[in-house]
Amino acid sequence: MSTNRTLILARRVVQQMMADRRTLALIVVVPVILLSFLGILIRAEPGKLVVGIVNDDQGVTLVGRAVNLGDRLAEVLGGFEEFEAEVMTASEADRRLQDGSADAVIMVGPDFTTQVTQTRHLALRVTFEGSNPMISDRLRTIFERVALQAANNFVLVASSPTASDLPELTATIDARYIHSGPEYDTLDYMAPALIGFLVFFFVFLLTCVSFLRERLAGTLERLQATPIRAHEIILGYMGGFLLFGLIQGAITLLFTVFVLDIHYAGNLLNIFVVEVLLVAVSVNLGIFLSTFAQNEFQVLQFVPLVVVSQGLLGGVIWQIEDMPRWLQPLSKLMPLTYANQALRDVMIKGESLLDVAGPLGAILLFAALVIMLSSRTAGRATI
Amino acid sequence: MTGYAVEVNEVHKRFGTVHALEGLTLKAHRGEIYGLLGPNGAGKSTLIRTIVGLLAPDSGSVTVLGHAMPDKNILARVGYMTQASALYDELTVFQNVAFFAGLMGCRDRDAIDAAIAFVDLAQRRDSRVATLSGGMRQRVSLASVMAHQPDVILLDEPTVGVDPQLRVQFWAHFRAMTERGITLIVSSHVMDEAERCDRLGFVRSGQLIAEGTAAALREQAGCDTVEEAFLVFAEQRGVSNNEH
Repeated sequence: MSTNRTLILARRVVQQMMADRRTLALIVVVPVILLSFLGILIRAEPGKLVVGIVNDDQGVTLVGRAVNLGDRLAEVLGGFEEFEAEVMTASEADRRLQDGSADAVIMVGPDFTTQVTQTRHLALRVTFEGSNPMISDRLRTIFERVALQAANNFVLVASSPTASDLPELTATIDARYIHSGPEYDTLDYMAPALIGFLVFFFVFLLTCVSFLRERLAGTLERLQATPIRAHEIILGYMGGFLLFGLIQGAITLLFTVFVLDIHYAGNLLNIFVVEVLLVAVSVNLGIFLSTFAQNEFQVLQFVPLVVVSQGLLGGVIWQIEDMPRWLQPLSKLMPLTYANQALRDVMIKGESLLDVAGPLGAILLFAALVIMLSSRTAGRATI
Repeated sequence: MTGYAVEVNEVHKRFGTVHALEGLTLKAHRGEIYGLLGPNGAGKSTLIRTIVGLLAPDSGSVTVLGHAMPDKNILARVGYMTQASALYDELTVFQNVAFFAGLMGCRDRDAIDAAIAFVDLAQRRDSRVATLSGGMRQRVSLASVMAHQPDVILLDEPTVGVDPQLRVQFWAHFRAMTERGITLIVSSHVMDEAERCDRLGFVRSGQLIAEGTAAALREQAGCDTVEEAFLVFAEQRGVSNNEH
């Protein structure tokens, strides 16, 4: 072993790195940016959830006192910081569950107190909006506590101070779900986004490297000396990579559905429509960004910038509504945000393509923009 | 329609402050091998890329087979071999040749096989290009610019890095092509290849400083070799440049 030779090689490595200023900058800047995002996202206060109470409880008179368990419940619910409790009418509750502006509604019937008195059992009827199983779970746990608390409270109120032999009340949650169901878990929420994310990530990387190689090898220049037009090059690339994007999409989908056993409500074919649009965006973004890379190593530098940032801010793990307000516009500038929305709506809510026309339109808009940029790239052999 | 395969008229091309082509004029007859001779950086590659239409001239005109360039449609009748063999390493010889021929509108498998046989690579037809030697790659490159039977082929330093034996083979190929009526424009900085061209153009500082057959140019300069003749013409140009 020669220290001298080792040092010479180490020096060369340092010299090479120093020559690539962009890589140097990225080594320093990217971790800081990503850590800031992570820090903000993890520490962000989750957005306020909305819980509706439809209280029709008539109450009963026990030992000379009017007892209304529905009112008590509303009072208890008002004391939580995790959500905002709103008293609403049945029709209003219905509407707000449908449009997603209420996360859960507790229905208290006219004979609620009567039933509890007679059966000594408190069954809390809750309808969950359900599109985010994580939220439903969080609320469900709280409601179980609330029901128990209300039941025990009732025992204190309804019993005479001397009677100590009263049995404790039991409490259960009688849950209904607008979307998904109690069997849905975090994976069901993440899977649609991950399917989109993986396709976007791999197709972007493949196109970016392929197009870079096309330019470095000089084959792009040769292509341009043939009758092929820039838009034909782009369409050809899209067609080729679409095949692999869809194969990958199909495999991830089948794997998550049949092996990981995730639940889905919608038409699986709709997922492919979203994926086709997503592939169009990632192919063209790959072609366009390949202009800014001199080698494969520099393509890898796009991963934290283009892919990881969208993974963090595009709503894959953290809900966009839970992000700080100033960060949310950044999410709106990312195609994955809309793909995630569309894929979740299709898979969890079972919506049709028409229902997700909004996010699909947004992805189309991104596609049009990057196609414009990439066709300029494909028309030039050199940077 | 003129009798020339390629006409370049008073073409200027500037990259920033660098004047790559300075009013260059050149005419190549059909079926001839026209050699572009000049040192590195003289403007040969820029000239060829302008003829193919990859670069638009700042002023002046380029005509290929009677069509003003750049014209994407006429490119189907043109072949362009770049300096380095630009091929897809993962694909086989056949796949590479078929790809470029296909873009030119030729989907005839026999024509593709014939082109591969023409450069003596029939044995390696289904080998991946990555496994071939440098000389073989150059031959694949040549096959891929001629399979669609173009009327004009532009070759940018096709014999760079090619061993002497293969170089002789290449020139035999070129000559055979002209017998099919194909026009070749070949750039080189190797002066001994000049003798194999029908006509020569000396390129220096973006200008054509002399044109003619090798013999005529030698005679005109009063030299024994093309190399010496080039230096004589270059010298004259240098002197005349200094005069004004």
